[in-house]
Amino acid sequence: MANLLELVNIHKSFRMGTEDVQVLAGASLSIAPGEFVALIGASGSGKSTFLHIAGALEKPDSGSVLYQGRDILRSGFFETYRFRNQHVGFVFQLYHLLPELNVLENTLLPAMVAAPWYKALIRARPGRKLAISMLTDMGLGGRLKHRPSELSGGERQRVAIARALINHPSLLLADEPTGNLDPRTGQGIIDLLVRRRRDQKCGLLLVTHDADIARLADRVVRLEDGKITPA
Amino acid sequence: MYKLFLCFRYLTRKGIVIFPILAVWLCVSMLIVVYSIMTGFVDRVRDAGKELMGDVVIQSTLAAGFPHYAGLQKSLAKLPCVAASAPVISTYGIMNLPEYQTSAEVQVLGIKPAMQSKVSSFGKSLFWQYRAPLDAARDLRDAAFPLTGKELADYARTKLKTALVIYRRHEKEIRKLKPIKGHGWIADIQRHWQVIAREDYRQAEYHLNRVFRDLRFVEKLAPNAVIENDAALRKTLVPPAPTFTPPAKALRDYPDKQAEPKYGCVVGIDIGLYTRDRFGHYHRPPGVRFSPVILTVVPITLSSTLATPQSHRFQIVDDSRTKVFTVDRHTVYAPFHVVQKMAFMQQQDLLSGGVRPARCSEIEIRVHHDQRQSAVNAARDQIAAAVRRYALKHPGMESTGLTVMTWLQEQSQFIAAVDKERDLITFLLGMMSLVVIVVIFLIFFMIVRDKTRDIGIIKSIGGSEIGVGSIFVLYGFLISSAGSLLGVVTGTLFVIHDNWIHDDILWRIFGITIWNRRVYIFSRIPNQINPQTVVTIAALAVVAGLLGAIIPALIAASRDPVHALRYE
Ligand SMILES: Nc1ncnc2c1ncn2[C@@H]1O[C@H](COP(=O)(O)OP(=O)(O)OP(=O)(O)O)[C@@H](O)[C@H]1O
Ligand SMILES: [Mg+2]
Repeated sequence: MANLLELVNIHKSFRMGTEDVQVLAGASLSIAPGEFVALIGASGSGKSTFLHIAGALEKPDSGSVLYQGRDILRSGFFETYRFRNQHVGFVFQLYHLLPELNVLENTLLPAMVAAPWYKALIRARPGRKLAISMLTDMGLGGRLKHRPSELSGGERQRVAIARALINHPSLLLADEPTGNLDPRTGQGIIDLLVRRRRDQKCGLLLVTHDADIARLADRVVRLEDGKITPA
Repeated sequence: MYKLFLCFRYLTRKGIVIFPILAVWLCVSMLIVVYSIMTGFVDRVRDAGKELMGDVVIQSTLAAGFPHYAGLQKSLAKLPCVAASAPVISTYGIMNLPEYQTSAEVQVLGIKPAMQSKVSSFGKSLFWQYRAPLDAARDLRDAAFPLTGKELADYARTKLKTALVIYRRHEKEIRKLKPIKGHGWIADIQRHWQVIAREDYRQAEYHLNRVFRDLRFVEKLAPNAVIENDAALRKTLVPPAPTFTPPAKALRDYPDKQAEPKYGCVVGIDIGLYTRDRFGHYHRPPGVRFSPVILTVVPITLSSTLATPQSHRFQIVDDSRTKVFTVDRHTVYAPFHVVQKMAFMQQQDLLSGGVRPARCSEIEIRVHHDQRQSAVNAARDQIAAAVRRYALKHPGMESTGLTVMTWLQEQSQFIAAVDKERDLITFLLGMMSLVVIVVIFLIFFMIVRDKTRDIGIIKSIGGSEIGVGSIFVLYGFLISSAGSLLGVVTGTLFVIHDNWIHDDILWRIFGITIWNRRVYIFSRIPNQINPQTVVTIAALAVVAGLLGAIIPALIAASRDPVHALRYE
């Protein structure tokens, strides 16, 4: 079976003052459809950078990112937007919800980005049903109208997960989703991610420091010295 | 349409939008208020200047004027563009009021009143022969017409009675006032109340005088004559043409039979005989009308030397208010032929035999036109050609340096000054608007900075550069539109009610006077709204808001999503 996502020989360096810091030096990774890969590594090893490149949020200095065989680095703007919107879902350590929107609106945002403008006119907010059922399933059914500032960290992260899943992506990219949560809440979040991944049959690339979490994955890889090695 | 949605959420859920909306709101209403009042003022000044003299004026460069004016008038009357014309003698002199022991430098205009009223606003500027009877007709228009003269007089008498009751009440209140001693704000407020009470008393007094005047006018009507309606009343009260002849009664009452003046004159309202209250009403003390005036004029001979000063006794019969201050401050109008004689411009037998024809200083002409200046200019050219032809045929005319000008050219200095003032104001307002644009820009810039993380998020879920940019452009557009709309509403309301706000709010409550009617030519603050101006200002504000939003929007759009996401 063809790979869902394939990162080949990724190089990335940042300019820090006068010197270049090489963060990724030929990192390669492929993820099969529906596969759960855990990415571990020391702090500052470039895990987030790698994840951003995988989600087309950042461009590598060299190397290629193939999504279902197509090179997303060399495709047009609109294809990139479409890729971010339709095919991947991001979950960040700091939740990154929009403070002005309530829980439901935050969840629906990617669907709204995808919808043509006239959908807004007839008030058929795309994905509304799915969002409500997902949020209810996550135990947030009573908090649809709440603003992120009124939620706990775990609840916010659940909203972020719902948002990542709303457009039925085939790949979830999660950057230390439990980093800011206590172990028990973190465990709940991970359970949710794993369960949801199974239900929606999407791939998952999860960055974590936690060995217990990594153990749940189909495969664990380590980022070290700019390269990916199996752990 | 997540852009519109997000935009609305930012508008409705972020308190900071109040500030740019407030800024645009205040600026738009301020621009509308200042610009409307200023242009209203300039337009009034212009209109007053336009009505001051004829549309076209024929003048001589010589102080001694030019001859054959009557013939010239006759020949000009044949031109299709000429509606009416009137000769004027213009000279300088001293006005002396023996009863008041005052004198003033004045410009003496010798005019034919009936003729002059056909070319300029002279007739309408007169108080006793136009304004006051018109006021009477207006004050009595709520009477139950048709009425006989006697019934109308009775009606006027009941009005007088009511005014008297009100006057007495105010008088009683004034009597009760005691001087306020002490300091501090309470005493200040009490003093201010006393000022208001005194002003109200003055107004009651003014009103009483006015109704009394109205009664005097209707008393002159034939008791049995039936007046159909207020228009008919106006027609009977307002004399068809002004005159300088003093009423017989006024002549009879004059004590010194020997020095009895035969001629009347009209003085400019601001010449200093009348006082003006804070509402802009002129108070005419009873003695001033019909008081004697001695005008002294220094004639200028043809060889431009000064001759013996000529004095003549006149009697004030009326006062004139053209609303052009320099004119109302310095002008006395007297009968044409009298001033002509005083200025040595009448027909004279020469020692060498022969006759020196009568002369005048200028001919003012009213032309047929449709309000457009181009029509006036065309008429001026036709008149100038006719004057040239006429001058060629009549000896002694060419050398008098005749010029033909439109009122706009004649008053160009005055109008230019006013226009310059408007330009200055517009410039200052433009500068202020620039400040507003900068303020909006800064606020938006801060909002965008504040939203850096959101921009990263929106991009990470697939929002495009254009999408993110348009959220902020839309945001700017909506904010400036909302501000503009509010500004248009409040600005327009303010301008329409500015007199009320000024008198009943600012002055009555806070004791502030900005538009000083004692000094300003116009009693009422201009309150005309020009829709075109309002729309232009509102549109400019929206454009300014867009401009203020576009640069931060561009910055927002070009933000690297990862950089934005790492921002905490
Ligand atoms: N925009 C940038 N400019 C300069 N240096 C950067 C930038 N982004 C990341 N880096 C550097 O790249 C290196 C890798 O950063 P990255 O965030 O990918 O590490 P990480 O493995 O996710 O660390 P952590 O586990 O602490 O989250 C770090 O040394 C960081 O300082
Ligand atoms: Mg990281």
